[in-house]
Amino acid sequence: MKILVADDSRVMRQIVIRTLRQAGYDDHDIVEAEDGRDAYEKVRSEGPDLVLSDWNMPNMTGLECLQALRGSGSTVPFGFVTSEGSAEMREKAADAGALFLIAKPFTADTFTEHLDGVLA
Amino acid sequence: MTDVSDAGLRRRATDAPPAIADLLHEATVCEIAEQAWLALVGEDEVLVPLPAPLPADALSSWVEIVGPWTGAVVLTCGRDTALDLTRALLGGHAPAVVEQEDVHDALGELANVVGGNVKAVLPGPSVLGLPEVGTTPPSGREADSVRVALLWRGSPLTVRVQSVLAERENEVPL
Repeated sequence: MKILVADDSRVMRQIVIRTLRQAGYDDHDIVEAEDGRDAYEKVRSEGPDLVLSDWNMPNMTGLECLQALRGSGSTVPFGFVTSEGSAEMREKAADAGALFLIAKPFTADTFTEHLDGVLA
Repeated sequence: MTDVSDAGLRRRATDAPPAIADLLHEATVCEIAEQAWLALVGEDEVLVPLPAPLPADALSSWVEIVGPWTGAVVLTCGRDTALDLTRALLGGHAPAVVEQEDVHDALGELANVVGGNVKAVLPGPSVLGLPEVGTTPPSGREADSVRVALLWRGSPLTVRVQSVLAERENEVPL
């Protein structure tokens, strides 16, 4: 399976990928995207099985990316990994079609909890 | 948490800008920073709440919050500490020579995570800006700020949550 990790911070992408490994998802292919627009294009070109996206990014936010994907007919499973975990953000994420929102800082257990149902 | 929300509502009711000290306690800022360090820097990476002078060649990262309370969350530490933090965040992926771009990225992301969690305990709705990094963080009202001084691996760093300067409050939004 293939996971697309979208975050404008290279360091945070590394942390997310490291946490995926720690959570036991070490046999999946990882594709990286550096903002929402890049993520949108890589969903089209790479066909990932899951998108893990930051929310606040330049060019196109994670939410705009998700809305654009759903608007174009994509049903790719999509979850946010973001520093903002308020009820308002979670509601916006769910309304747009996100499966979950993982708030930073996170642990491997948090990843397992949210991803097992998607990647199992 | 109830006290925090109540304070914000009382302030808004009078149309006065809320003072950050009424909305946020130092202990909350410490707890947010500690959780960020344990999860992102490493599970053994503790922050000790002890004041110590920052070195002259300090580097800051910050994110702005715009909403019922408007201001910035600023993280400041020495350049050597920023470099060590970057290596710790990158873990096994840290290159032999860490580029300045990675240092800015790492320090900015720490401010982003701390800022996002500070935003969550402040009255909303509000918007979090993208992280910025530099030697000159945005000026704030010293009297209207919450500042915590911490030690990480014996090196000083500070987290400051500060309201914007008065003149910026008078700007007319476009």
